[in-house]
Amino acid sequence: MTNGIVRKTCFTTFDGTLSLSTTHQRPDRFSHLESPDTTAHRIPRGGGYSYSASSFGESSLVQEMTCFNRFLEFNPQQATLKLEAGVSLIDLMEWALPRKLYFPVLPGYPLITVGGCVAADVHGKNPYIDGTFADWVNQLTVFHPQKGYQSCSREVNPNLFAMTCGGFGLTGIITDITLQLAELPSPAIALSRKSVHSLEEAQFELASSNADIAYSWHDATAGGNFGAGIVYTGHWTESTEQLKPMRFRPMTASTRAKLPLSAWNRVSARIANSAILLHNRLKSDVSVTGILDACFPFASNVYFHKLFGKTGLRESQFLVSEENVGQCAQALKELICETSAPTMMLSLKRFKGTQKSLSMSGTGYLVAIDCYRNAGTDVFFQRLDQLILEMGGQINLSKDSRVPPEIAALTVSGITDFKNNLFEYDPERIMRSELSARLGLL
Amino acid sequence: MTYIVVGGSSGLGRALAERFAAAGCELIIVSRDIRDTAPLAAHLAIKYEVKVSPVAMDMNSSPLSLDAIDEALDDHSPLKGLLMPIGINSDDDVVGLGAATLLRISRINYLSPCQLINHYLPALEKSSGVIVGFSSVATARGRSKNAAYAAAKSALESYFESLTHHTADTGLSCQHYILGYLDTNLAFAQDLPFPKASPERVADVVYARRFSSGRQFCPRPWYIPYRIVQLLPWPIFKRLAF
Repeated sequence: MTNGIVRKTCFTTFDGTLSLSTTHQRPDRFSHLESPDTTAHRIPRGGGYSYSASSFGESSLVQEMTCFNRFLEFNPQQATLKLEAGVSLIDLMEWALPRKLYFPVLPGYPLITVGGCVAADVHGKNPYIDGTFADWVNQLTVFHPQKGYQSCSREVNPNLFAMTCGGFGLTGIITDITLQLAELPSPAIALSRKSVHSLEEAQFELASSNADIAYSWHDATAGGNFGAGIVYTGHWTESTEQLKPMRFRPMTASTRAKLPLSAWNRVSARIANSAILLHNRLKSDVSVTGILDACFPFASNVYFHKLFGKTGLRESQFLVSEENVGQCAQALKELICETSAPTMMLSLKRFKGTQKSLSMSGTGYLVAIDCYRNAGTDVFFQRLDQLILEMGGQINLSKDSRVPPEIAALTVSGITDFKNNLFEYDPERIMRSELSARLGLL
Repeated sequence: MTYIVVGGSSGLGRALAERFAAAGCELIIVSRDIRDTAPLAAHLAIKYEVKVSPVAMDMNSSPLSLDAIDEALDDHSPLKGLLMPIGINSDDDVVGLGAATLLRISRINYLSPCQLINHYLPALEKSSGVIVGFSSVATARGRSKNAAYAAAKSALESYFESLTHHTADTGLSCQHYILGYLDTNLAFAQDLPFPKASPERVADVVYARRFSSGRQFCPRPWYIPYRIVQLLPWPIFKRLAF
């Protein structure tokens, strides 16, 4: 079937809730990537850190792009870098930082690939200022088995460009990307922590902040402590403090799930959250940290994810408008406390942007909720879906591996246009994943 | 100083190119498809700020025309090394295989490396450089599978021994590695009884030993199963299906 070596692999979403066995190829040359069978279904895969099954699907050949990880062209005057889709964020940043450059939109884990970031149109630590990943992409090359290599940008082939950014690989395999880099103001961030008692207080703090990095963390366990948290704001600093290089051991979906059972439950979640809050009160309010540590907090702190074990976790991320965020916070508190939901932590970020393709973007506040899994998890998520609908929220499809198609259709405004454009662009829908099947994009 | 890396666009070849470029060496990277070689050359030039030239060449052609490499060398500093992590095997490589496959396996695994050695030997002797070749643990003993591959790699081992003997007093280093399983696309779909070594680890070994000569197993523990297979009595060996 393919002009390259193919094996059977069991893939699991990073949240550990969905596994599927399918054919797997790791092309390391263009002739392998192209594969002679142009009618066979396939889907590209990057680092494999998506919480939803967007990089594998039944009867789809998974083409893992990690060997396509080369820098192709650097323009120092324009600060643009053309690179292949399999370059990881840490490789990009480790190359850029010594050249006094950086990439402003970095999701939480350093081994996520640039191609994956485009496909999910991810966000970083301050989407209100920096926008989403696609805002920093100048040009793409997309390979489709029946259409060949297609270059696209906002000016050339703009429809393909718009569909591919946040299109979860359904328009083809991104082979290269031209990124706009930014000048590095300094190698360090002064990260401030402020204790808050509620989501509303955090929202006020985030709204009044002009920081370069701004997000909050909250205790989301049901009970009196719900909403207590920390607002993190970071500013570039010229501090001469000695910065330690970031160290981390790679975590994958399978190494994350090594524990046979989840260690998180109502008691352990409360203890851990209380410890975080106490630790924050005892720590100084400001610390100076390197840009990598500030942007990749989960790289050196893997225990939160690992303790979910094989049972896995559920996460929901949604965007809610500035007008509705207060009401949403109150409704969320009532829902969690009423249902004794298995929620662990919650996070807020301020957002600014425009929703396109299947990506999550817009203006408002991003709410992220993490839950351990028990008998009540799925019931809670069904009620959460209803709450998101009532609040006019927009769900992040890359963070929730179970979003039903009717909820996606109602909460992701661009989905109908995306579907119509995709069906016109690729009538046979060669690129397929579990996500595309679940959303009815076949 | 310039190193030629043949088969340099993927697997061990790419790891060697990365390792030598990281050390500031100029490179000429040779592989069949310029679409693979050119991006790697660009990558190494951007990442390590060294001069890298891509060359497209099919090691299955006979005789090899080395003009493209020679032309590239004109723009580089003097030649210091020839690294040849090339090889090919085939699922239908058993005794009785067709002539085309037999010739292809023989050319890529044995004849082309020998031609490269012969062509660049004078320049490398002059610069007291290094020639590095790679064979496989499949050469331990002839088996039903990989018949032509093992024969070609055994022939290459023998040629390297002759080369080492021939250049013993010239200052040229000749290294020959007998490789175990490597985590490259060749082994990607194979369910193997021993762990696969990373190409980066092998590249580190090759770089560290670039001024010495001799034959070495890589990873070293492969010497043990290799010798065991060689010492197996025939009545037992003939019954093994591997």
